[in-house]
Amino acid sequence: MNQERIYDIILAPVVTEKSTRISELNQVTFKVRGDAAKPEIRQAVEKLFNVKVTAVNTMVTKGKTKRFKGKAYRRSDVKKAIVTLEAGQTIDVTTGI
Amino acid sequence: MQVTQVSADGLKHHLKVVVPAADIETKVAERLSALAKTARLPGFRPGKAPVSLLKKQYGRSVTGEILEKSIDEGSKKAIADNQLRPALQPKVEVTSFDEGKDLEFELHVENLPTPPEVDLAAIELTRYEAEIPAETVQKALDDIVKANRPYAEPAEPRPAQQDDRVTIDFAGKIDGVAFDGGTGKDMPVVIGSGMLVPGFEDQLVGTSVGEEKVIEVTFPEDYGAENLKGKAATFDIKVTKIEEPGLVQLDDEFAKKLGQESVDKLKEAVEGRFAAEYGRATRMKLKRALLDVLADRYPFEVPPGMVELEFDAIWNQLTAEMQRQGQTFADENKSEEEAKEEYRKIAERRVRLGLLLSDIGTKNEVKVENKELQQAMIAQAQRFPGQARQVFEFYQKNPAALEQLRAPIFEDKVVDFIVEKAKVETQKVSPEELMKEVDEDEDEMLDVAEAADETRSS
Repeated sequence: MNQERIYDIILAPVVTEKSTRISELNQVTFKVRGDAAKPEIRQAVEKLFNVKVTAVNTMVTKGKTKRFKGKAYRRSDVKKAIVTLEAGQTIDVTTGI
Repeated sequence: MQVTQVSADGLKHHLKVVVPAADIETKVAERLSALAKTARLPGFRPGKAPVSLLKKQYGRSVTGEILEKSIDEGSKKAIADNQLRPALQPKVEVTSFDEGKDLEFELHVENLPTPPEVDLAAIELTRYEAEIPAETVQKALDDIVKANRPYAEPAEPRPAQQDDRVTIDFAGKIDGVAFDGGTGKDMPVVIGSGMLVPGFEDQLVGTSVGEEKVIEVTFPEDYGAENLKGKAATFDIKVTKIEEPGLVQLDDEFAKKLGQESVDKLKEAVEGRFAAEYGRATRMKLKRALLDVLADRYPFEVPPGMVELEFDAIWNQLTAEMQRQGQTFADENKSEEEAKEEYRKIAERRVRLGLLLSDIGTKNEVKVENKELQQAMIAQAQRFPGQARQVFEFYQKNPAALEQLRAPIFEDKVVDFIVEKAKVETQKVSPEELMKEVDEDEDEMLDVAEAADETRSS
């Protein structure tokens, strides 16, 4: 994987009640590119935040079908990655890089 | 919280206040957790956002808020502990603060002085009163008659005389060129009334109806219009009408025309006008004398900050005035420093008198009744005919404006109160003497009212 792609993979942190709760389990949640693979995500997180990743789980939340002025359209799908860090390591998602 | 007095010099107090960091931190934490109960953040249900997140987002502003509050509380406590009565808003200087460090600030307070007890009974004043001389009234009546006499064309056409009313068309020229406002038609001129450029009216004497004449005049140096000052001009005039003044009897009928029932009533009205004028002058002189006595006899230290404030107000007004009139200090034969010195003294006197008067007023429970305020409000409303309702609304919505009405009333009442208690001798003087310097006085009165107002509201 080339170096630039590292910066493209991770789009934003997910800051919600749920993500705050699982942060106690040493897990951090990110929005990632739709075509990002788990090994890529692991590599990107490790390089960017200088941490050790033990597992990556991903999910794709499908965009809802909505209507605007009677016309149907679809919201974009979002891929989320829950990254488990090695014990004792943290990422402060609220400060940014 | 620790308060230490650094120095105290007369009315000036310099305090140092230290608030420990722990105090501030606990307060910030409290404030944040209170905030967390209602905070709305995207991704969280209302009130479910974690405090740590809130701290990141709002920490700075909350800390600032708490700091402000601590400074406010700290200065209040410092002032209360030292039993100070600040004359003005205390000056606060934060010397050090950092996250996790003690908050230190310095407080510069100017204490409100306690004016000395004034022995009102020991004040001796002279009330100058003036009789209204019969000649003055007579002259005023004559003037009224003169101003109202009817003019009529004489039975036999004749040349114009002194006191005649001549109607003329005129075209004025300077160096043969017509100038602005120098042309007119059918203008009535009373010869001898002195309304026009000197010399103009005199040259109308001896003209007859239909006659054309060239009049030469020189505009005086102090003429109102800038472009005409001191210029020589010629006026081509044509006399269209000559009327002679008729005679008027000062009788009831004449009085009725002026809206009075009879000659006696008219005379009374004229006398009343003089009486009111003299009464005002009497009161002003009395007040001036009273203020002089108070200022001389009861000196006390006044807060320099207040003097400075008053001085600035006077100075700004003065310089603005001078600029408008294009004057400089050199015109009045004194340097700016001298003038400043002089006005500083005036400012100090005003502040002192303001404090003293308001002190006497409060001690003796002089109060401004609502009824009196109402009257003042009505008086104000009458100055704007047709908009009375707006005026009332304005005062209802602006307590500060109402306060401005209250101040002079309060001051007047205090003065009345003192005059009542003081020894007052009445002395008769001539009207001319009474009216001397009155205009000057009026100016000062208003400012004392403001000073008194300031002290009361602070």
